[in-house]
Amino acid sequence: MIKLDPQTVKQWKRFCSIKRGYWSALVLVTLLVLSCFAELYVNNRALIVSYEGNWYFPTYNWSIIPGSKFGLGDYYISETNYRELQQKFKEEDEGNWVLMPLVPYGPQETDVANILIGPSLETKHYLGTYTSGRDVLAALVYGFRTAMAFALILLVCTYIAGICIGCLMGYWGGVFDLLFQRLIEIWNTVPFLYVIMIVASVLSRSFWMLLGVMVFFGWTAMTWNMRTSTYKEKAREYVSAASALGASNTRIIGSHILPNTISVIVTFIPFSIAGGIAALTALDYLGFGLPPDQASWGNLLKIGTAHLESGWIVSSVTLALIMVLLMVTYVGEAIREAFDPKKFSFYE
Amino acid sequence: MKLLILRSFLSMNKEYKVLNFFTFKNRFCRFAIVLICLLWFNFATADEHEVVDEGEFPEVILPPIEVKEGDGLPQVLPDDLEWITNLDDPEFASPDAIRGGTFRTWILGYPLTLRTVGPDSNGSFAGFLRPIQFGPTSFHPMTRRPIPMLATHWAFGEDGRSIFYRINPLARWSDGEPVTADDFVFTIQFMRSQQIVAPWYNNYYTERIRDVKKYDDHTYAVQGSHAKPRDELISDLGFRPYPDHFHRMSNNWPMEYNWKPDPTTGPYHVGGFDKGKSVELHRTKDWWADDLKYMRNRFNPEIIHIKVIRDMNSAWQHFLSGELDSFNVTRPKYWHEKANADAFKRGYINKYWFYTKLPVPSAGLSLNSAHKLLSDRNVRIGLAHSINIDLLIETVLKGDYERLPTFQLGYAHYDNTNIEERSFDLASAHKYFVEAGFSEVGRDGIRIRKNGDGTTDRLSFEITYGNDNDTERLVVLVQEAKKAGVELELDLQDSSASFKKMQEKKHQIAWLTWASGGLSPTYWEFFHSVNANKDQTNNVTNTAIPEMDELIMQYRYSTDLDERIELAHTLEQMVHDHAVIIPTYQVPYTRDAAWRWIELPEWLGVETTGTLFNSMHYSGGMFSSGGLFWINEEKKQETLAAREKGDTFEPIVIKDETYR
Repeated sequence: MIKLDPQTVKQWKRFCSIKRGYWSALVLVTLLVLSCFAELYVNNRALIVSYEGNWYFPTYNWSIIPGSKFGLGDYYISETNYRELQQKFKEEDEGNWVLMPLVPYGPQETDVANILIGPSLETKHYLGTYTSGRDVLAALVYGFRTAMAFALILLVCTYIAGICIGCLMGYWGGVFDLLFQRLIEIWNTVPFLYVIMIVASVLSRSFWMLLGVMVFFGWTAMTWNMRTSTYKEKAREYVSAASALGASNTRIIGSHILPNTISVIVTFIPFSIAGGIAALTALDYLGFGLPPDQASWGNLLKIGTAHLESGWIVSSVTLALIMVLLMVTYVGEAIREAFDPKKFSFYE
Repeated sequence: MKLLILRSFLSMNKEYKVLNFFTFKNRFCRFAIVLICLLWFNFATADEHEVVDEGEFPEVILPPIEVKEGDGLPQVLPDDLEWITNLDDPEFASPDAIRGGTFRTWILGYPLTLRTVGPDSNGSFAGFLRPIQFGPTSFHPMTRRPIPMLATHWAFGEDGRSIFYRINPLARWSDGEPVTADDFVFTIQFMRSQQIVAPWYNNYYTERIRDVKKYDDHTYAVQGSHAKPRDELISDLGFRPYPDHFHRMSNNWPMEYNWKPDPTTGPYHVGGFDKGKSVELHRTKDWWADDLKYMRNRFNPEIIHIKVIRDMNSAWQHFLSGELDSFNVTRPKYWHEKANADAFKRGYINKYWFYTKLPVPSAGLSLNSAHKLLSDRNVRIGLAHSINIDLLIETVLKGDYERLPTFQLGYAHYDNTNIEERSFDLASAHKYFVEAGFSEVGRDGIRIRKNGDGTTDRLSFEITYGNDNDTERLVVLVQEAKKAGVELELDLQDSSASFKKMQEKKHQIAWLTWASGGLSPTYWEFFHSVNANKDQTNNVTNTAIPEMDELIMQYRYSTDLDERIELAHTLEQMVHDHAVIIPTYQVPYTRDAAWRWIELPEWLGVETTGTLFNSMHYSGGMFSSGGLFWINEEKKQETLAAREKGDTFEPIVIKDETYR
């Protein structure tokens, strides 16, 4: 059993008592977990196919099941269209059946028979479709997953780099500090958007390329705060005590200084996530983001604004974006409150 | 300031508060310094450019026309010339046309210059500036035969590469000066001069036009680089003159003439401009060509007001509110969705769908035959059978577009109509892919080929394209191609980067549309081996076939029309057999919308009409087909009053398939 620090328990209780933030966190985590298994309820692959007595589970299959396997013709070498298969089995009525997910459309899939139609239960496009007949709901769900994954990975990478360098700057000070300060200043003046544009024109766009560029320019933000906090902590007596006891630099920073600066880090996290989502969406909207055929919120927003007469596109994505960013901000607010040093700090 | 910079760089203070303070201040100061420097630099350069001291840029006397060895026109006008004119073709403008009014149209960006050559002159505003200058001849928009413009008669030299022209003595520049042979001689000197800073034109007027000679004030001749069929020669050598009396050449010419529009020979001249906002073209008073056959009853508006609207959606709103008179609605989204607004339903705005027979832009997928897999003809043909253009047309394009059967089309007799396009067909695709060795299918449903050396090839290609609007079209093709076991990846870049990639032949498949024009299809730039595997050429398929090269050169230099037509048919067939291009779709019509006070002839337009509400004498092509509409002021008042009151008219939607 992990024994929690009494201060952490207090902070957690305080966090839980701020209802708005608490519920937002709960909803966000649920959504995040749900989105990890989006394939089970928003997918063009069937959950179960029963064909001639055999059961197939295509959802998480490593390889596709071609249509020829289900007697759809010899040249059907590509992935089965399970919606059509379902229809066919129903018509034949020979005991074969297909169980489709709740939303039977994939995010990349085009349903050309239903281009730009509004929300409809009949076609199971619950939030309608956008250009080329892609499902808005599928794009929202998978777009959310992509955006969250992007924001979280970006957060981890930039924080690791930012915290390490920031800590060292504060801890060592001197020439190291000075050099990095100048370096970061120069770094910050590199026009980030231009770099993205140049890189996008040279390389093919991809999730990882975008992430790489964002990390490359994003790590500096955290260094200033960490540097300041470390400076502050370093001057405290417990650091001198540890040092006098012969603790190594790694130990002093890792076990003593970092835990005491954690509140700085934690309070920034939600806002960094919101920033990450917004950055990805904005870049996508401008056309420098993810590959053009990948479902993403920015892409949806762009298509929605170009097709204002099909209002369901822009309204769903805007609403989703506002909700998520709002919830993240509420969580951030609650965390800041919970970690407020005025309430819980004690000085030795 | 220097001190501050020094201090900030040397600040070794360990007190971080002090340090921070300095960092902030020093950042701010540095920003200020840069700003001041920039401003100062800006003023300095602005001064340099804006104050034009004529003494600084002395007049340059252009050298006389130099003739290359083996070229040159006769010193004396030959006696045996057979002077031709053409006043026998039908008129195509309506005698009901009413003169007057202001036609309000729009443009996406303000022109960077009002010159038609030199830096920045190739913007979209050139589409207005070029057609208001006439050449000696043009082409009849129905019979496609030459018709007189500035010249009354023309005659072909016996060398097969020169034309003699007689200028209409009535012809005047819009400032009243007569048009003379000197203007044409000057044009060549001008176009060859370094002062205009236009290398492309320098080269064109040196290489393609070899000599120009004045015989008297109203007679001159032009000689081209090599013999050609007569119509081709007329289109090549009939350049528009520049006014000799107007241009003072100096090394500052591009600056000096940037906002000084040339006097014109056409119906309109630049009458005024409001920088950044609008340009107005005014009809020239007592225009010299007013009563000429083929010119009368055309170019009816007194003023053409061209407003700068930097966004298409916003321009559409301007149009709906009646601030613009017409709008091109060819795109399916506009015709089917946007053009059903209230103003349409109430009959204030009419819709026209007009089929034409213009050269069709060559839209298609160009396969890079230098690519490892695409070098195999079987793979290319298999790929052509895996691309479902018909489905794309039926669904995303709402059935509006038509399948394009050949690479080049719309050149009347030159078209090879025996070629049938390759349609989406899984059985054929399978056959060709198996022949190429792609008989197995990988775990992801994509065909693979196991090579003898143990490597495996996947049937996967990247499609390079430069317009995000095409993504919705391409994703349909991507999904359909999977059915044939082909993976297509989308490589969207910005338009100039994608075109660069194609010209450098770094692409695999290019989604590309070539603009079309001229009187006959061209093959040399697209398929000759001299342009293959080379940077910055248009042979993006890297085609290099010796037999084809031979035919292309024969086609290029043949002066016999029948032979050329036959060669064009053979070449088009070779392009098809070689399967390096998968032609996609064509739009053989124009769709326009206009407020009901803008009226058209009964027959709306002619077979070479570009857009129905084109106020210029041509648009894009070389046929003089524009300027047929007019403004009915009475109807305008009536419509505006009805809109005020909420009255409606019967909506008019016309679909004209005369030239389908």
